[in-house]
Amino acid sequence: MIPQISSTETNIKLPFSFIIFSLVAFIVSQGLFFFGGDYIVNGAYRVPLLWSSAHLLVLGWMLMLAMGAMYQLVPVVFLTPIWSEKLGFIQFFISSIGIVAFSYTLFYEIEHIAYTASIVIIGILLFIFQMYKTINVQKEKNIMTVLVGSALLCLFLTIILGLLLALSLTGHATIDHLPVLYTHILLGLVGWFTLLIFGFSYKMLPMFSLAHGFSMGLSTWVTTSYIFGLIVVSMSFFYNSDFILLVGSILLLIGFALFAYHMNQVIKKRLKKVLDKPFIFSIIAIGFGLLIHFGAVIAILFNRKDLFIVLAYLYLITWVVFSIVGYLYKIVPFLWWTHKYSKLMGKEKVPALKDLMNEPLAIPVFSAFTVGALGVGLAIILGSTTIFQVSQAIFIIATTVFSAIIFNVLRK
Amino acid sequence: MEELKDSVYRELHKVIDPELDINIVDLGLVYDVNIDTNNNVQIEMTLTTPGCPLHDSIVSGVKNVVRGIDGINNVDVDVVWEPAWTPERMSQAALKILGH
Repeated sequence: MIPQISSTETNIKLPFSFIIFSLVAFIVSQGLFFFGGDYIVNGAYRVPLLWSSAHLLVLGWMLMLAMGAMYQLVPVVFLTPIWSEKLGFIQFFISSIGIVAFSYTLFYEIEHIAYTASIVIIGILLFIFQMYKTINVQKEKNIMTVLVGSALLCLFLTIILGLLLALSLTGHATIDHLPVLYTHILLGLVGWFTLLIFGFSYKMLPMFSLAHGFSMGLSTWVTTSYIFGLIVVSMSFFYNSDFILLVGSILLLIGFALFAYHMNQVIKKRLKKVLDKPFIFSIIAIGFGLLIHFGAVIAILFNRKDLFIVLAYLYLITWVVFSIVGYLYKIVPFLWWTHKYSKLMGKEKVPALKDLMNEPLAIPVFSAFTVGALGVGLAIILGSTTIFQVSQAIFIIATTVFSAIIFNVLRK
Repeated sequence: MEELKDSVYRELHKVIDPELDINIVDLGLVYDVNIDTNNNVQIEMTLTTPGCPLHDSIVSGVKNVVRGIDGINNVDVDVVWEPAWTPERMSQAALKILGH
């Protein structure tokens, strides 16, 4: 028996608050990143400018956007309403203040980051609590519950480790810094974001392509392999073992490859023969993710860990950001359409969802994103500031145009 | 009565799924339309996927168009998941829009 809910609608002000904040953070983070070109190409990654830029990108853009998207998608995927919208707004308020203050202190007042990090942590903990209360109501748990639940656990562990790092940096705690830092990055970037995208893709890919009659059998193997991969790679940091790192990376590659294959099977069963262009971009992102996982295994095999920074950058941008950007082209028009046209349905002519977004602009924008990201990756490998600045400028233009397209929806 | 039922179906063609840009009748979402002697209408329908984010919008669209028909009293929409929607329920017109 499939549980039935009468309403899946969340107050759109809640997801939109997160989305608008994230777009501004995206532009600012990319602007800061542009000025860090010399540091990047010379391998000086631990500098305040890049710390600030990276956290603004990961927390301000990606995490805030993921949280906003979850406020809309969790009721759709798990068939349960958000536990408390009021808590959602409080959590938005605390998180946004925390992230701005944290990025500022990373740049200017490193001695105070434990305080600002604490505000971010409170915001994220409230979010995790909210999601736990919301998803826990779901009557029949499924593989999406496991994936999204595991993603939330990774997020929880990421912030605990982040707090340890902040306490260590300010002399309030003594820890083995590097393994904790690497695990913090692994669980935050790979665990949280990838498991989350996996989980929602199992609902959104069939929904947007109108795919029917596919098997979900592979999803258990995808989940098991990827979660074990995360555990084994984390262990490799603490045992300082390249062999364990290789085994963990191969498990992650197997998990991701199975996911890519499974998504391919789903797409083959689609009824919507002509897919929306921005949605195709989310599918292409899976290909990038697979290549990067493969690249990580090759880099470990040939002892080229120096390539990890390029792989981490490309992973972040071409897999995580591109997936999110593609799905945003669906999520934002839906939210606005529901807000503005839902009640008019059947009373007067209303636009289709795709009429709200500028789809022809999607191809040049997404091409610019891709050229910019690959250019930055190349610049890091070649150590070229010029290639970095040109590529990053292209990426900033794409970011700005993309944000303008999203804001423009709110005028329709 | 049959004439009124035809009118209901005709009006339901005006309810368009905004994601697919196809009306709900051609999509095969409408399972049954019953009209009692007092002209109360009961519509049994489904959606392409459980938890469809357009659930409320489509249901309210259905109520709005049917309420606009002369002589209709109450309109009740029952969204069911059994039997589940299958692509075979779509019309040729819908398949054509989807690129078949």
